[in-house]
This record gives sequence, structure tokens and C-alpha cells, in this order.
Amino acid sequence: MLDSFEILTTSGVVLWSKSYTSISPSIVNSLITNVFIEERTLPGAGIADDISAANNPPYKHDLHTLKWTTVKELGLIFVAVYRSLLHLSWIDKLVDNIRTIFVDLYGDQLKKPHTTLVECHFDEYFDQQIRELEKTSLNQDPRSTESAAPDEVAPPLTPKVFADEPPPLPGLLSRGQSNNNYRDSASNGSTPVGTPDASRPTTPAGHLLTGKAKPGGSRRSRKAANTPTVYASSGDESSSKKRPMKNEPKKGRKWTAEGMADEDDDTVLDYSLPANGATSGEDEAKDRLGAAEIDQATWGSKTGKGQFVLKDLDDQVNSILTSADAKKVDSAATSTGLFGSGMSAIGGLFRNVVGGKTLTKEDLDKAMKGMEDHLLKKNVAREAAIRLCEGVERELIGVKTGNFESVQAKIQVAMESSLRKILTPTSSLDLLREIDAISSPSPLSLQKKRPYVISIVGVNGVGKSTNLSKIGFFLLQNKYKVLVVACDTFRSGAVEQLAVHVRNLKELTAREGGQVELYQKGYGKDAANVAKDAVTFAAQEEFDVVLIDTAGRRHNDQRLMSSLEKFAKFAQPDKILMVGEALVGTDSVAQARNFNTAFGTDRSLDGFIISKCDTVGDMVGTLVSMVHATNVPVLFVGVGQHYSDLRNLSVKWAVEKLLSSN
Amino acid sequence: MASTSDWAQALLSPSPLGLVIAILLAISIPLFLHSVVFRASGLTTLPSILLIGPSDSGKTSLLTLFERGTNASTHTSQAPISVECSLPVSNTAGSDKYRSAHDPTNQAHKKFLLIDTPGHGKLRHHALDNLTNPQNLKGLIFIVDAATLSAGDEGLRQTADYLHDTLLILQKRMAGNKALKALKDLPVLIAANKMDLFTALPAALVKSTLESEITKVRVSRSKGLLDSGIGMDEGADDEKDDWLGEVGSQDFKFYQMEEFDVTVEVIGGNVTGGEGPTVEKWWSWISERL
Repeated sequence: MLDSFEILTTSGVVLWSKSYTSISPSIVNSLITNVFIEERTLPGAGIADDISAANNPPYKHDLHTLKWTTVKELGLIFVAVYRSLLHLSWIDKLVDNIRTIFVDLYGDQLKKPHTTLVECHFDEYFDQQIRELEKTSLNQDPRSTESAAPDEVAPPLTPKVFADEPPPLPGLLSRGQSNNNYRDSASNGSTPVGTPDASRPTTPAGHLLTGKAKPGGSRRSRKAANTPTVYASSGDESSSKKRPMKNEPKKGRKWTAEGMADEDDDTVLDYSLPANGATSGEDEAKDRLGAAEIDQATWGSKTGKGQFVLKDLDDQVNSILTSADAKKVDSAATSTGLFGSGMSAIGGLFRNVVGGKTLTKEDLDKAMKGMEDHLLKKNVAREAAIRLCEGVERELIGVKTGNFESVQAKIQVAMESSLRKILTPTSSLDLLREIDAISSPSPLSLQKKRPYVISIVGVNGVGKSTNLSKIGFFLLQNKYKVLVVACDTFRSGAVEQLAVHVRNLKELTAREGGQVELYQKGYGKDAANVAKDAVTFAAQEEFDVVLIDTAGRRHNDQRLMSSLEKFAKFAQPDKILMVGEALVGTDSVAQARNFNTAFGTDRSLDGFIISKCDTVGDMVGTLVSMVHATNVPVLFVGVGQHYSDLRNLSVKWAVEKLLSSN
Repeated sequence: MASTSDWAQALLSPSPLGLVIAILLAISIPLFLHSVVFRASGLTTLPSILLIGPSDSGKTSLLTLFERGTNASTHTSQAPISVECSLPVSNTAGSDKYRSAHDPTNQAHKKFLLIDTPGHGKLRHHALDNLTNPQNLKGLIFIVDAATLSAGDEGLRQTADYLHDTLLILQKRMAGNKALKALKDLPVLIAANKMDLFTALPAALVKSTLESEITKVRVSRSKGLLDSGIGMDEGADDEKDDWLGEVGSQDFKFYQMEEFDVTVEVIGGNVTGGEGPTVEKWWSWISERL
């Protein structure tokens, strides 16, 4: 069974939600951060105008699966949450249908500026959809839904519930019933099955059930559908429609004003009396009147006796869904027409110059191809370039260009922002403060002082040792006590090379008071053990930072890579940095990915150092490729041969280089 | 010769075409002038207050609370949103201070725009764009989660970083950019949210913790590496005066920002309406700024 369904905006406000069990908001939050903001899970192939939920890969977050879809121009997200154990065949359909209905009903309200309020009385529509889809799925395969049913006790059958119902006032009762009669006959007219005799007695029962617990009601309807003698679904649905009528006299409301309101909506309506009673009563009355007019026109009609009656929900929903389908077919048909295409081509050309054109996939295709080539020229790996372009395309389809704005300019802007987004780190990357927090924790916190361990990995010959000594130099300038550990016990000369670096660093920083030592155990030892010993040694000798150099290894050699997991376990590094050279092209994605997964399930890379950036000029695409592959930020870039040629990554600089055209 | 005199005659003769053009000009010029002048000076935008702060500190919750008067459930924001709010009845705007109590304009409640920004690290440029491109900005509310600010906490580091960056932008607006000079005297409210939680620090402690953490931030920023791009091309227009607050001072204090016309206040409250201080004081802070 569904756990929860939420409709929220991109600005984070939940417009409507319905939950059957209490779920933590962090589930949806993690969907938003991972899928929408950080784009961790690559969206599927679908980049059409409106992506159906079936094309969006489901997002899994401990025990729960989330199905989602979006409406871009309104900034809406529709999320359905359910237990991963369950197999709900109709969930895609539900999400899609709900999206269509919601947009159709409340699209106008959503376009209003400067407000987050959307008055929606959506419960009925949602329940109707759930019932309908459950019914259809039940007909298809009863077993899957049966297993999905909640372990709730089925509610007692009609007579008892009848007795439970509080006796309404006589006048009210007769009125409500006359309404019901009308309602039932109306719904019976529209629904194919159903006998009036059966549906009437179930009505009050259904009312109570919906009041109590939704799952029970739906379960009941399922049961009822199994036994053809009782046609409960019509009872259920009229019950939900009946509710407002029952409320009306208690609350002393006008029919015209609150046709669809029920208890929950009562509070919502109160919000519209502007917060903190700001607007005067006159405004409020006007508001109410306005709402009433809309309500009446769209949702109901008056009977001859002046009683307010709602339109049949099924009918309305179906008409919304079919009209949406028809619109889709329509748009497809018009675009194929010869005359239409000719006219639109001319109009398109004109608008291309003037602006105000709604972008379609065809408009974008050529320009996107150019952008992709441009990125490839900048040494961005093909995979990353395609992803970036698809992202931009998805963002732009259906968007109107501004006045005198060409498609190219629009793409340029969108690409800039998506490059910026991909390169900007999620959290701050201030290495010095992180070291301070570990190596000299504040006395208030209960952490013990220990050295900060940084280890450096990478493919052969990318500059691991060089960058390690650059970082060492930077740390020494900030007066840390640094231990350099030679864990490359494999390549001949590696330890000596580090020894030379350490000697140089000593000479360079001796005057400024930096302290640096080399820890080495010669060749042939197990690197993980050496690293572990070095960390304990550093803790004893009160070093602030331990820099561990490792042997270079080919990223697709399983034998070499597997030793990294043990290494991470033994050395427990605070930061694992991978050095990648800016010269490498397409392979950068595979390198980053393999190294990122090499440290076991609960450890990954913490950052990249992109070396040799000075040798590639503008072609700094490797930055993007590596971040794209792993979502790990770039910590430093190497820009020269000297110890001081290490820089923080400036996102602005990188984006400028990537988009510059020469 | 004949042609010139013909031309002169044609020009000066009372032709219907000339008449039409003259009438059109006579009518359209005032209209045109009117539209230009009023387009420039008119368009009074509502005063706006910017909400800023790290993710999950309660910005959108506060926004919905101020708009609707009750809480709404919210999730992580991805896009900024601006919402029209009005002051509650009990608060009078600072600009209405000298009006008599019976002034009918007091009945109309002061409206303002509240701009919410996403707090996620990758989306902070929205907030910073709003800061550098202000439209009648009257104040800045920096919301912090007081329950995550204990010493050595990751939340404290992130919050201090963001606050440091924000204040630095405000400080720099004095130095260079002409557009930014327009917003003089920008007050900042550090709203210590989630005071209803047991682990929340009181407002005074929030202030001192943030101050000491910002001290650390600016020290480590000054010692940190240069950004890429500075050494590589001649675009080194960023002179290195990224020191927040008083130059040469040992510790950072919020009052140092007053030199740059930025007054910083720390007030506690909670959005959810639990125990402890509520949003009342934040309302009155806003009303004083309008």
C-alpha cells in the first residue's frame, strides 16, 4: 500500500499531501538533494516535454521507494512513497494521473506570483484515483494487491456501522438524504455497473469508513469488487462527496461558498483570511465570493430545489484525463501537418530572431549538437558532455525565450549555470579548518586530539608525489607539523623521490618554523601496514597532519585496486584525494569511478586534485568529467612546477575557460 | 534653383500630410514623455526582506508561517520564492512611527515581500545574486539552526562559512560596486531558530559561538591557497582585501560590521510554535525595518 503521496513545489512548500503512515520528511528531502540538486542518479532517457513517472528511475531510500514526476513550468514535484518490498503495478499511472488532474484543476492558482497558497480540495480526486487504479490492478492480478494489503482488520460490515453513526438532526437528515438520492442516481447513470438498491445502504457506512481510516475503506472497496453482489465503490465515492453536505449545517456555512469544503479544508480556508488578520473583512468577503463563483461553476450545479449538487467526480476526472490525452495527440497531429509545419517554420524563424519562442526539441537539437562538440573540444569526456547537454535540453524544452534572445544565447546561459552547479561543492572545502577541528579540537567538544590523515591515490605518473609535496608545502607554511609517509613500496626510487621532496621542504620552511619528517619502511612491505604504523607513530609524536603517498595503480586492474580497500581500513584517512591529470580525456570518467568505488562500500573519495592544468590551456574538461562521474568535488588544481603552484578551484574561472570559444 | 524653391514651397505650404504629422507629434510626445518619466520613477516595488541561511534551518517554514499564520510542511528548496506578507495587527512599521494613532493609513497593513532562498551548497548563488542585485531590500534575515551550533559541530562550521561569505559580500558592497552602494545601512538579523529543542543554544551563546567561529574562518581564509585563475591570467582584479570586519583585530565581533553600515542582531525564536521564544520578536524586528 502507498505510504504517502506529496505534491510540492521546487521552492519547498508542500501543496498537498496525504500520508497513510507517518514517514520521515528526510525521505523526500534526500530525494530532492540527491536527484534534483546533485543529480546523483542519472535520469533516464526520457527528455520529452512531460516525463511520465515510468521513465523516471525510482529512487530508493532505506526501505522506501519513491516514484516521482515533475511539471517544469509550474515547478511542481509529485512524489509517491511506498515500501520497497511492495510491488505496486499501478503506481506510475497514479502519479501521472494525479499530475494531470492537479495541473488541470489548480494550474491557474499556481501561476500567481508572490504566494505559496494553493487552495486545493484534492482529497476526493486522489481517493477516486486510488480506488480506480486499485480496481483495475485487482482485475489484472489479484494476488499482487492482496499481498500489498495492509494488515488491518477489515472493518465490520454495514449494519453495525450504521448503528455507529451519530443521529443527525431530522431536518438535516432528510435534506442530506434527498441529496444522496440525487447523487446516487447521478452516479449510477454514469457508472456502467451498479444497482441503486445496493448502493444506497452502503452510503452512510462508507462515510464513516472514510472518516476513520482510508486504508480500511479502500480495502473494503477491493473486497466489494470481489463480490459482485455489493457494489460498494459507488457508495464510497458518493460518501466522499456527501461529506461536505453533512458539514454544512454544523458549520453554518453557505452552500455557495463552501461547496466542497470538509473539515481539513476548513483550516486551509482560514489561512486565506490573510495571515494575522491583515486584510479587512471586506476583502475577505470578496475573496469568498470569488472562490464561490469558481467552485460553483466548475464543481457543481444547483438542483431545481436550489440544492447544491456536485458534478460526478468520476466524470470530471475522466474528462480531464481524456482531454489531456487528446491534447497530446492533437499537438502531435498538428506538427505533422504540411501546411502547419510550413507556417510554424516561418514563424519559428521569425521568433528565433525576435524571441518569445517556445523551445521544442527540434529547435534545440542542432544547437545542442554544437554545444556538445564544443564541450568535447574542451576535453570533456563524451559521457559527461552528453549528460550536461541532456540536462540543459531537459531544462529548456518548453521554455520561452526572452525578447531578442536567440536560442544559442539561451543555451549558453543554461549551460553556464549547469556547469556551475556541477562544479560547486556541496559543502565548504576549507582544508585548514578541518585540520584544526581534528588536530586541535576545541576543549568544549569531547573529541580527542589526533593527527589528520590525508592519503593520495591515483594512476601512474599523474603527479601524486609532486602534489603531495605541494600540499605539504602549503601546510608547512601554515605551521603544521607534517609527517610524510612513503607507502609506495613497489616502484624503485619512489621512497628516495619522497625523501628528496622532504629535504627540500625542510630547507624551504625551516626558517618559518615548519616541521616535516619522512616515515619510510623501505620496499616490499605491505602498504596498508606501513600506513597504519605511520598513523600510530604520528599520534605518539604529536604530528598534526599525516600525508600518505601511495603507489600508482592502473584503475582497471582489479588486483591492484583491491588492496586499496584494506589500505582505507587500516590507515583510516580523513581525506582520500585522487590525483587526476588534466591531460587525460575520456578515460577520466572510468578512472574516477573505479577509484571512487575501490575503498569499499562505506568509503569513497573526498576530493580530486587535478594536476597539470597549466599544460592544457582552455581544455580543462577533465574537471567536469571527474566530478560528473563521482559527484566528488575538486579540491585543488595544480597549475605549475613549483611547490607554491597549487590553487583552490575557482568555479567561475573553470566555467569561463570551458565556455570560451577559441 | 527652381527645384530648391519648389522644395521650400512644398515644405512650407499647408499640406494635409504635414498637418497630420504635426498633430501626431503633438499628441504622442507628451504621452511618450509621461511613460518614460513614470517608468523610471514609478514602479514602486514593495520593500523586501531576504531570508538566507544554511539548508534545513527553517527558511521555508518561516516563510509559510509569516504568510499564512500557521505552519506548513516543507522540504528542501531548489528555487527561490518571494511571497507577499503583511505585518500583523500588533506591529506598526518603522516608517509609520510618527503617524497618529487614529491615522486611517494605520488600518491598511504594511505589506512586504519575503524572499526565500535555497540553502543547499550548490544553490547558494541564488541567495548571493539576490544580495548583489537588490530591489528595495530592507533587511536580511540569516536563519541558523541553534540546535546544531555546539562547538565542534559540523553544522557550526557550515553555518559560519555561509555567514562569513554573506557578511563579506555586504562589506565589499561599500568598497566597490556602485549598484550595491544603493543599499545603505542594511540590517542583518541572525534568527536563532529551533529554540524549542532541548539542545538549542540560547541567543547570546549563538552570537558568541558564531563570532568565534567566524574568527577562525577568516584566519583560515587568509592563510588559504589562492583561487585558480588569479595567478594564471591577468584577471587579477580581485584585490586581496577579503578580511571580514576590522583590520588587525584579534577576534571578530559582529559590532565591527557597523563600520560598514551593517548592524547585526541575534534573536532567538522558533518557527514551529513550541516552547520558548516564538517568532514575535522577529516580527517586531521586521516591522522596525519597514
